[in-house]
Formats: sequence, C-alpha cells, structure tokens
Amino acid sequence: MSPRLLVAPLAILVAAAAFGAAVPGFAAGGNLLNMASQMWVLALLAAGQTFALATRGFDISVGAVAALAGVAAAWAANTLGAVGLALGPVVGFACGMLNGLLIGTLGITPVIATLATLIGVRGIALLVTDDGQAVPLELDAASWVFSGGTALPPADWVALAAVVGAHLVLTRTMVGRRILMLGSNPDAVPLVGLDEARTLRHAYALCGCFAGLAGTLMMLRAGTGLPIEGSGMELQAIAAAVIGGTPLTGGMASVPGSAAGALLVQVLLTGLNTSGISPFVAQSAIGVVIIAAGLVAHGMHGFHLSPRRPRRRQP
Amino acid sequence: MKRAYFDCRASWPSYARRDQATEPPLTRQSDPAGRGAQARPGVLVLDGIAKRYGTTVALRRVNLRLDAGRVHALLGENGAGKSTLVRIVVGAAAPDEGEMRLGGAALRLGSARDGIAAGIVPVYQHLSLFPHLTVRENLSAFAYGRTGPLALRPPLVAAETARRWLDAVGLDRDLATPVERLSVGERQLVEIARAIGQDCRVLLLDEPTAALSDRERDRLFLAVRRLCERGTAILFISHKLDEIDTVADDLTVLRDGESVIEGVGRETVGRADLVRAMLGTAVNTGAHALGTPGPLMLCARSLRVAPSDPPTNIAVRRGEVLGLAGLVGSGALRIAEALSGLRPVASGSVEIDGAALLPGDRRHAVRLGIGLIPADRSTDGLFAVRSASDNVSASALSLLSRAGLLRGRAERNMVAPWLQRLGLNPPEPERRAASFSGGNQQKLLVARNLLVPGLRALVALEPTRGVDIAARRLIHEALAEAASAGVAIVLASTDLDEVEALSHRILVVDAGRVVADLPRGAGHPALLAAMGGGGARAA
Amino acid sequence: MRALRRLAGAVPPSAPVALAIFLLFALVVPRFATAGNLENVLRIASILAIASCGQAIVLVLGGVEFSFGASAALSSVLAVSALPDVGPVGALAIGVATVAVIGTVNGWLVSRFDLPPFLVTLGALMIASGLAASLAGGLPIDAPPSAAFAWLARGRVAGIPVPIVAAVLVLFGTHVLLRHTRIGRIWCLVGANPVAARLSGLPTRSAVVAGYGTAGLLVGLAAAILTSRVASGQPGLAPNLAFETIAACAIGGIPLAGGQGRAANVLFGVAVIAMLNNAVVLLNLPVAYQQIAIAVVILAAVLLQRDGWPGGLWTRFGRKGARS
Repeated sequence: MSPRLLVAPLAILVAAAAFGAAVPGFAAGGNLLNMASQMWVLALLAAGQTFALATRGFDISVGAVAALAGVAAAWAANTLGAVGLALGPVVGFACGMLNGLLIGTLGITPVIATLATLIGVRGIALLVTDDGQAVPLELDAASWVFSGGTALPPADWVALAAVVGAHLVLTRTMVGRRILMLGSNPDAVPLVGLDEARTLRHAYALCGCFAGLAGTLMMLRAGTGLPIEGSGMELQAIAAAVIGGTPLTGGMASVPGSAAGALLVQVLLTGLNTSGISPFVAQSAIGVVIIAAGLVAHGMHGFHLSPRRPRRRQP
Repeated sequence: MKRAYFDCRASWPSYARRDQATEPPLTRQSDPAGRGAQARPGVLVLDGIAKRYGTTVALRRVNLRLDAGRVHALLGENGAGKSTLVRIVVGAAAPDEGEMRLGGAALRLGSARDGIAAGIVPVYQHLSLFPHLTVRENLSAFAYGRTGPLALRPPLVAAETARRWLDAVGLDRDLATPVERLSVGERQLVEIARAIGQDCRVLLLDEPTAALSDRERDRLFLAVRRLCERGTAILFISHKLDEIDTVADDLTVLRDGESVIEGVGRETVGRADLVRAMLGTAVNTGAHALGTPGPLMLCARSLRVAPSDPPTNIAVRRGEVLGLAGLVGSGALRIAEALSGLRPVASGSVEIDGAALLPGDRRHAVRLGIGLIPADRSTDGLFAVRSASDNVSASALSLLSRAGLLRGRAERNMVAPWLQRLGLNPPEPERRAASFSGGNQQKLLVARNLLVPGLRALVALEPTRGVDIAARRLIHEALAEAASAGVAIVLASTDLDEVEALSHRILVVDAGRVVADLPRGAGHPALLAAMGGGGARAA
Repeated sequence: MRALRRLAGAVPPSAPVALAIFLLFALVVPRFATAGNLENVLRIASILAIASCGQAIVLVLGGVEFSFGASAALSSVLAVSALPDVGPVGALAIGVATVAVIGTVNGWLVSRFDLPPFLVTLGALMIASGLAASLAGGLPIDAPPSAAFAWLARGRVAGIPVPIVAAVLVLFGTHVLLRHTRIGRIWCLVGANPVAARLSGLPTRSAVVAGYGTAGLLVGLAAAILTSRVASGQPGLAPNLAFETIAACAIGGIPLAGGQGRAANVLFGVAVIAMLNNAVVLLNLPVAYQQIAIAVVILAAVLLQRDGWPGGLWTRFGRKGARS
C-alpha cells in the first residue's frame, strides 16, 4: 500500500482527536452521524473525480453537473414519482459522456473541455428553470430518505453503496483496469489495442454519473432543485481526492482514499464550526492540507536531480 | 574503415560463450532460408507502396518482403521514409497506393489494433508497458482490449503460460513484480514475451537497443533468434550498422521514399556499398584534421561523481578534443555530465581556466562558458514548439539583450550564419523546431552551444545519436572547427567510430574510473580491450 | 514585404473571428455599434483583459492559475479594511501587493518543489477565499466614500475611462514582455521545455517565480479596479475570474501545453467574450444563452486553432509553418 494513502486517515484521526478533546459534544454519536450524512455529496463527487484523475485528467464541471442533475431529478420526481429520481444520475452520465467525447474523441485538454461543459451546463440549468428558479420537490417520501429507516438513514446507505460500487468498478472491472492503464502509460494504450477514446469516455461518464447521484442527494436534502448550487464543489472534490492519495499524474487511484479525503474536509468544517471558529477558516485549512499533501508526495519522490525524468505535459 | 569494422566484430567476446551453450547462435552461420527465398511467398509482402502527406511525398514506391524465421533489417537516413513505412506496416497509416499481403491474403489495416489482431506486433523504442501493473498483467494487456466494458475479472493469462513466454525470451522474474521495478532491458524482453503470446507472425523492432546496456542487448538478440526459430518474421530497424551485421539476414535500404536495395542477403552488400546506398554518394568517414592543443583549460581534481567512485583527475587543454569512452553504466556519461556542471558531485572540484565551477549548476557553468549538448535531444534539449532561431539563441540571451529588451536584429544576425554553416534544411529560422527532422534538430542544439557567450569548453554527449550521416558529418566538422578555435571539447559517445575520428586522446572509463588514456590512432582493438577487460563491448 | 509578413504572423487566428462577430452584431443587434455601448463593452472587458494577461503569462510558462478569483477577493477585503488607515493610494497598493505576493508564493512552490501548478493554485484558492471570508465575516465591507479611490474605476484620462487606459497599457506591456524582453523569452522557453531551459543555463526557477508574481501583479490591478467599482470589500468579488481568464486565453488561441502565447491572443479572446455578453444583454435574452454561447465558442476556438486533425484548419491552410 502506498504511503500516500495513509495521509488522509492519519490526518482525520489527528483532527478528530483534537476536536474531540477541545470541543464538548464533537465526538457524540449524533454529531458523528450528522457529519457522515453531510459528507456524502462531497464523497460521491470525489469518488467520481477519482476516475478522471486516474486518467491524468480532471473534471471541473462536476459542481454544475450536480446542480443540473438535481433540478432534473426534482422535475422528474414531481411528474413520475420516486422513479423519476433516477433521472439525476442519467443526466450526470450524459454530461460526463459529453466530456468524454470532447476529451477522448476530439482530443481537447481536460481543463478546457470540462470548463466549457461547466459553463454550458450552468447555462442549460438556468435555461430549463426560467433563469434560476428553484424547483421544489413535491415527493412525500423525500424526508424519509434522510430520517427514516434504520440507524443510518436510507440516503447514507445509498451513498455508501455507491462509493463501494465505485471502488469495485475501479479495482475489479475491465473498465477500471483500462482507466488505470491509460493513466499509467497513455502512449502504450493504442499499442496494445486498447481504445483510448473509449476508455476516456468511460472514465468521464463514470465521473459524471457520480456527480449526478451527488446532485440528486443534494436536492433531496435541500428539498428543492437549485440550479445555481454546487459552485466551488468541483475544486473541493478534486481536493478531497488528492488529499486521499490519488495523484494528478495518473496510474494510481483510490476511491476509499477519496472518501477519506472528503471525510477529512467534513471533519475540519464541522470541527471548526462547532468549536466557534469561523467556518471559513476551515476552507483555508483545506487549502493548507492540499499543498501539504503535494509536499508529502514530493518528499516521497525525493528531489529530482536527474534531468532524465519524463515530463508531464498536463494539466 | 572496413578493417576497423571487422576488428570490431572479431573482438566481440560473447561469440565463444554463446557457441558453447546449447542456445541457438546469435547469428546464423548458414543460410538455409536464403536459397528458397525466391520461391516462397513471404509472410508479409508490401508491393509498390506509396504515401503522400499533403504535398510532400513520404514514400514513392517501396517493396518489402519479410520471410518466416528471418530478420529483415530496414535502413535509411532520417527522412528516407522509414517511419512512414513502419506506420503503414503496423496499421497506423494507410498507404495511398500499392498493396500489402499477409500470408498470401490481401491485408487492409484500419488501425494499430487491426495490425495486432492480424499478428503484426510492434516493439517500439519508447516502451509500451504499464509501469504500475505487474509483469503478468502486462503480458495480458492485449486481452484487455478485447473484453467488453462490463467484464468483471480481468482476463489474466495462466501463470504457466506467462512463465513459458518469459522463458522463451530468457527472462527469469517473478510474475507479480510491478514492471516499474524492472530495468529497461528487462522491460523490453517482457514486451517481446508479450508479442510471443500474441502468436505474432511479424515482429517489428524499432531501434530496440537505443537504451540498452551491452549485456541486455545480447539478451535481446538471443530472444530475437529464438523467435526466429519459431518461424516469426522480424523487421529490425536500427541506425547501428554493427548490429545489423550481427543480427540481420536480409536488408532493405530506403532513400528518398524508395527502396534502393530490396531484400538482399546481408552478406551480399559490403558496408561501403550500404552507406553509399543510404546516402546516394560515398562519404568521407575518415578522421578529422585536428590542431595542436594549447594550455590547460578544463580540469577535474579528485572528482568523485558518485560516493562510491574513486577520485579521478581529468585535464582538457585548449583546442583539445577529449574522447570519453565506456560501456553503458561505466560512468563515462556521469563524469562528462559533472564536467558540464549538469550533475552534482560527491567530492572534488571542476575548474575552467582556473575558476571553480559550482557543481550541479548549469547556469553558473554557462556563465563560465561551458556548453552542453545533452544526450537526449527531445526531452533535455529541444524547445519543440519554439522557432529554430529561439532554440539557437537560448543560451546567448544575455548577449542579445540590453536593459532586459531583446534586440531582434542582433539575434537574427547571430543565428543566421550558424544555421547556414550547419546547413539547416529547410533554411527557415522562423519555423517551429518540431517540424525539422532529427538531424536538423540536433544541428540546432549544436549551434546553441557553439553560441554560448565566451565559449571555453563544450561537453558533447552522444552528439550524433539517431542522426543521419550527412548531418553527422556537418556536426563533426563544426565540433572540429570549434576545437581549432581554442575550445576544449569533451566528447562522450558510445559510437566508437565517432570518438576515434574526432578525439586527440581517448579516456576509457570503467566503474567510474579512468582505466586507460589512449592516444589518437590507437585503434579499435586497443580501445575495446581497455573498455571491457574482455567482458563486453560498447553499446 | 518582410514587415507585412511579420504583421500577418502576429495576427492570431482568433482575430478574423472576432472581427466577423463584431460585424455580425453591428448588423443584427440593435444599439450594438453605438459609441456609448462600445465604451461600455470596453470598460467591462478591460478588467477581464488585464487579468487574462496574467493568466496568459502563467499559461506560457506551462502552468495554470486557479487562485485568481480568491486572491482578488482577499485583495479587495484587505484593501477596503485598510482604506481608513492608509488612504486610497495605500489601500490600492495593499490590494495589488496581496495578489502579487500570493502569485509569487505559488510560483515558488511550483518551481522549488516541482508541484503541479493545478494543485498549488487550488490550495492557494482555498486558503485565500477562506481568509477573505473570515476577515470580512462573510459579508461585504463598505468602503468609506473616497473620490480618489473611485477614480480608478470611474475616472477618465483625456476623456477615456481609466480601466480602458489601464487595459491598453497592460496589453501593450504584456506584448512587449512576451515578445521583446529577455524574461519573456525565458518564460516561453521554460514553458516549451523546462529541462532544456535549465540545461541551457537559463534561470528557470527565478523566471517561474517572476512569471507567477507578474501575473499576480496584473490580477491585483484588475482586483483594484473591481474593488473601486463596487466601492466595497467583497469576499465574493469575482469567484469565477480564473475560469473566465482561462476561457479568454483559450478562445484567443493560447495552447495549455505552454511555450506559446501573445498579448494579441488575449485581446481577441476577451473581445469575443465581451461582445457575446453584451449582445445577450442588448437582445434581452436570458443569461443562460450567454453561457451556452461561450461554452460553444470555447470548444470551437480550441478545435479550430490547434494543430492536426480535425481542427487546425487555420494552421494548415493559412500560415503554413509559421509560429503562433
């Protein structure tokens, strides 16, 4: 196991211990559960992002895609009932597929392609909601998703299952294997007869699908589909994945790591909030952790004195 | 020249070892397939292939026939059309005219994937393995391309099968080893093993030995021979004529997009004829006239590059060309890099004209007037997206600017004569560096380093690697001329002909230590004897 | 003739596109081609132009900056908080210096530790936006009225609004920097191949630090103008500034791979975005159309201006072999 995967869990332990000691009630069961249910949106976005990162790319459109998916799911659930919620992930999948086509088939760099998708999807979300009107969800069962059921509400189970599913897809299926191969050596992929464009389409479609699921959960919790929601979450998701030990250089990726990264972000946010420090400081703290994670990776690789290190062309 | 080259082959010590062993010989002693070659149809036949890119004609009319169990060498200068032909053979490009037949049936390839499916497997110079995956997973990589998206378990090849493929190339490594832990040579063997697993009918080796040590190269050739025993046809591309003499059965030479020698047996063509066929004219490959060296210029005192190296003293005089020869991994390259200020040192000092060089600081070295032609042109030397002119002036910007502003006219006036002198083709300094051929790109690097302000010493690492013969001659002339003008030159090259033709004296390096100091004209045998202690040969 | 050819080489492919869009809108969109409207377009575009020059320098270096929006916000908050104590000039200096310092630190982290620019600037984004929000308590800080402070956004020089003058100066300065100075050439070479630049004896590390620092300086100027315009310290001043500048550079034709880029690319990229935005407003269309149009233009621009199939039409038929 790569030592970089240990960074996030250790940081979580340290942060949790510190907050647990400093803030009364932080370690209470209710608070922990609350934190867990708050982190799922970010965890799902980060899990999806892991697929894009594994191909040496990334997807900055996931926040916008999640918002559009939330609006679509709310509208579909209002017309079709609970089944309509499935439209969220489907919309996400379609947006991801678009990214995959732009990046894989047309060969546009991920920054530009997903930036264009980000802007375009925001535009579409505004267009379908009459310039940003929220779409209230009129589904009776909606509140049950976050409160009912067993010890863990159903939403948590769904999100947990999705993260486990992402992990299995990455490690146990040919799709995941091809994505890792592409990130490991992109030049070699066509030479062994793998379809590079198709693999990229799969990676970004998976990323979009998880963004759609995250958007649906976000909408269920808020009770409305908000077309301008999710701004800034794309970068937080990438941050969570990188903190979790998935490098930007591809070839290695860990979905549990990304989930741990998301948990760390949530622990910092909740901990600082409950301890009375401005919640905005938490954001700065996440920034410090990102750069620190980069420096740790740098320290592990050592200082590159040899000029013969192959050059990474992207981002 | 011819004499020197036969010496070189005769002194190859691994012959004896190989003949004693039960393994097949590296070169064929007899030529059984040659007799029947005319009668047999050939595994892969290319007939009258032509290819144009826009207005440029890459291939005019090329014929190529690969026979089962034979190694067919493809030669040609840079720009002769080799890479286009390779692209057509593997399926990455479609020919405009002509036809391809595989095993007698017409062949039409839409992509490299199709080529692999048909049994044409390329092994490229830049490796096509996946460093994060294990040996066994890499051996299974072709199968990965064929499964559907929802397939769960990756279709790994059976362990015994994988073992057998590795045995066939003589590689004994654990199947679960990640490929990133293997040496370059071992990785190449894995690649060939993977090709064996593909039941490949045609194996294409594109400059496979460029990054290999001597031992690894022998191992590679052995694996190639074993593959031949199984009836695979092999297309072998290399710039190194020695290797071609060693391993090839047949030859095809391309020049200006045409096959000027078509599939003849290697013994039937002498080296001089071969070179003439590649160039169109006979070239003077003889030694360059060199001036008399002056006082001391560049010296290393008790230099230890790696902590384990013994201390070394090296002195290069003004106007002297010092050759550094050694096997891959001998430390010759290391020492040369330290002399240029590229590499930090463990102890000792490098001085130029009495001034001490800060080790590992190229900026300081350039300020002291030390040029460096790096060994790897594209990763360490070329600014591919910038113009030729920008590439040449890069080290001389301090001369070209006043108060931080660049003087465009001064830049043009400085660059133009050098590009003319080195025969840049096409002679357009505003063209992107990436659009030039390899030889012309190398000319840009040479010009850049000859333009280092106050040039006093020049360290040239493999200055003509992968460069065609005409460019090579121009580069050699430019280096010799710089030496005549008083520059101290350190030439580290694995090309012994080059070292011998240019150097005043040759230091032979082994295990980080100078083991011999040979005068000009000592000849190949002395050089080889000093290099390997009888064990090996320059790669 | 030579001068003419050099001029043709200096015109990026986005120029005729921008011109075509201008002519189209002048014909189709009512009130587009009036002096008042065009001044308005230029005034709004000037801030994006100044910031995009900063992004262009970072892209030429082979990097990318995501922290512009956050550091602009922090600069705005700091400048307005300091305004009562240090006066308008001092406040603006603090605002500009804030972004320049953040840029310099980013450049140092990128060059010293060889970290991916994306990672470093993402971290800087989070740190700066967190600081800006916590310093301001999450709400805008009102600036005390100050004529001198407002001059930057609302004043005129010889009848031309100050932001436009500033943008013209910055574009010209960036052009000179990238084309005619030693440091600009070093930026290009480092972006084209950092290892080769080091082996050629170029001061790569200090060049990268200087490049990110200069970019920060320019974005600091843009932030100061914005702050002056809104007359308050905004923790959410321009949240999408980084994305907008990347979009402008991409439309203008600067490749993300590094080593290439000119001020002219920025000029025409910004022009296209500004005209699209303005036309949507004039036509009274929902803002959604503006975003969709920009997304499509980005993709079209990138496809048409790159080398090789299926784009690169311009490179293939227009200016064979010329450098961009």
